[in-house]
Amino acid sequence: MTTETDILIVGTGFAGLGMAIQLKRAGRENFIAIERAGDVGGTWRDNHYPGIACDVPSHLYSYSYLPNPDWSRVFSPGGEIQAYIRKCAEDEGILPHIHFHTDMLKSTWDEASKRWVVETSKGTYVAKILITGTGHLADGHMPRIEGLDSFVGDVFHSANWDHSVSLEGKRIGVVGSGASAIQIVPEMQKVASEMVVFQRSAPYMIPRWDREFTEGERRMCRRDPSVVEDLRSEIFWSGEFNFAQRRNIPRFLNEAKALAVGHREAHIKDPDLLAKLTPDYEIGCKRLLISNTYYPAIAAENATLEASALKRVEGNMAYGASGTGYELDVLVFATGFEAVRPPFAARIFGSEGISLDAHWDRGMQAYDSIAVNGYPNLFIINGPNTGLGHNSVVYIIEAQVDYIMGALQQIEEQSIEVIEVKRTAEDAYMEKLDTMAQGTVWLAGGCKSWYVDDRSGRLTLVWPDFAHSFRDENGTFHPEGYDMQPAPVAAE
Amino acid sequence: MLDNQPFREGAVTVGGVSVRYRVAGPENDRTPLVLVHGTAGSIDGHYGYIFPMMAYRQRVIALDWSEPEGDALELADLVAQVKAVITAEVPEGPVTLMGYSLGACVAALTAYEMGDKVANLILAAGWLRTDTHQKMRNDVWRQLRDQDSASITQYMTFCAFSPAFMNMRTLTDMKAAAGMLKITPFVDKQMDLNTRIDIAAECEGIAAKTLVIGCTYDMMVPKHHSKQLFGAIEDARYAEIPSGHAVVHERAAELFHYVDRFTRQPDEFPAGTIIPAQKP
Repeated sequence: MTTETDILIVGTGFAGLGMAIQLKRAGRENFIAIERAGDVGGTWRDNHYPGIACDVPSHLYSYSYLPNPDWSRVFSPGGEIQAYIRKCAEDEGILPHIHFHTDMLKSTWDEASKRWVVETSKGTYVAKILITGTGHLADGHMPRIEGLDSFVGDVFHSANWDHSVSLEGKRIGVVGSGASAIQIVPEMQKVASEMVVFQRSAPYMIPRWDREFTEGERRMCRRDPSVVEDLRSEIFWSGEFNFAQRRNIPRFLNEAKALAVGHREAHIKDPDLLAKLTPDYEIGCKRLLISNTYYPAIAAENATLEASALKRVEGNMAYGASGTGYELDVLVFATGFEAVRPPFAARIFGSEGISLDAHWDRGMQAYDSIAVNGYPNLFIINGPNTGLGHNSVVYIIEAQVDYIMGALQQIEEQSIEVIEVKRTAEDAYMEKLDTMAQGTVWLAGGCKSWYVDDRSGRLTLVWPDFAHSFRDENGTFHPEGYDMQPAPVAAE
Repeated sequence: MLDNQPFREGAVTVGGVSVRYRVAGPENDRTPLVLVHGTAGSIDGHYGYIFPMMAYRQRVIALDWSEPEGDALELADLVAQVKAVITAEVPEGPVTLMGYSLGACVAALTAYEMGDKVANLILAAGWLRTDTHQKMRNDVWRQLRDQDSASITQYMTFCAFSPAFMNMRTLTDMKAAAGMLKITPFVDKQMDLNTRIDIAAECEGIAAKTLVIGCTYDMMVPKHHSKQLFGAIEDARYAEIPSGHAVVHERAAELFHYVDRFTRQPDEFPAGTIIPAQKP
């Protein structure tokens, strides 16, 4: 069965859903969103591990046009974010446009018909415009560990938590010390008889200024929406301030470092443990983490910090690269996501029949962080150079949706059939970004991170500037970067 | 490895005193930006954020005021220092001149006197004519100063920041911030000058393309002053930042946003525009 549509959106997380809502609000009905799972929410649907929350305050980490007065906390738990996304989809009438359990398998640009042919697990779709909103945190990364198959206990990834496994009184190994791990570890420490954390490199951590909102505060937000607007503005601009740290300016970087060092030293008294928890690179080079509970958990009696990566597994023994082995019942992989080489890219084939993943063999790149030469009529939300180390990605997503809305308007007004970014425009954009990235802490901070592509040493994931300048530069469609062919006028 | 931005220091002699300034950032199609700090300020104190961040975008020049000889400070003394730095670094012009607080008054008068050498002007939390509200605050300050009161820096800090900003911090944090303020005889003279500002007539004659930035919760130079500048200067547009007077600390990134956009494209908004706030 083949389904035809003007616009096909892939994914229904913050990106895909945000796109769908604006299409719907603009009165465009001829779009379909395909979703591989059975619900909306993207990473917030998939990640339901104990302790999950967001690192951006909830009043900002939400759509600007759908404020939520009822957030329970400054940093609300993941389940609440998922419920919010679900409610947005319902309230905006998007659910009827979503085809669930529909996994994009292969999208091919058909030069003859000037359409994308999208093969999915539920049949074929044909669309004039393809928009991906598959996110940076969509597919869990599992490191290849020697002998993992021989492990006799339970094993799962943080993004695919197995709640049927009883953890009470178990010996639990947590692999990783990144953003997911530091939320999981305090929860595991509470229930485990023993807990071992395998840490490849120590993260920087600062306090989390979290608290519950009172019923009175929530009512205030309901009664006066300007309160939420002011809060968003305050959170956003204090986040923006911190870009100076990523920009690697000594004064601001050192201020952040002093905060992190003070936090670490306030909680960790054992000098050996303190040494293990001290990073060997500059703050912000890898994702800066926020937690009040990680250090106390790692310093607890039943916790052991193995300051090396998990190397091999044999039966119920897990060995760090240091050679030390631990007897464990459960292994939790909090090892992050396939962000640098997003799996969706291997499934999209452009006008020369090459997959986007192969095309990006030196790392992801896109004009205006949204369009790729050789891949006409395709817009990528939350793709190359859209990540942030200091602010809310929902803001970036909204800017990109605005851009696409501008493009769609032009396509319609001028009856454009094929729109393709110029190679020269894409290269010039990347050259500009490369220049902007020089000297930032991501490139100069002396670490290995998912922000940088190993193959080229280029910063491919992060937008190397303020979030507000992303909107200034990429929040409106730039027709001058594109070749646009009008549709032939039909003969009578 | 930290990104230590290269910069160059310079000095000019004005009325027998040396005025030090700093230059950084690439020369490109943007007009050089000259930064003038405000009362009790300095390059690092008031432009610690804007200077390095703007220097990633373009050529930036900033000066530290020097105390002139004589008992009283006049606006003309400070205008002379700014003019000397501009003349030394960008002799043919044009420049974009930015002033903050008392520095905005200095910048406005400089723009009037230098004519087309100042192509663009940014006035953040500045004013046209000292009014009773300001005189009252200044008078309390004067009394605390005469009493050598230990509360004076806390009073200044209390007046400088918005409630929202303060409430994100503790009383201890705010007192520590106050403790960093240093009051010198030169600051005394600046505070005296603050009671006697009147540049209303000159503002009518400013030709520069101007961005006026008012601060919603400013208790020292309330935003009605910025509205007056917006009205008085012919080619002015207005933006407002929800901050106290200490916008250079409180909302440094938002201030950067307006400065960056304006220096990139000064005519993005026509004269008379109230630039809508970004709604993140």
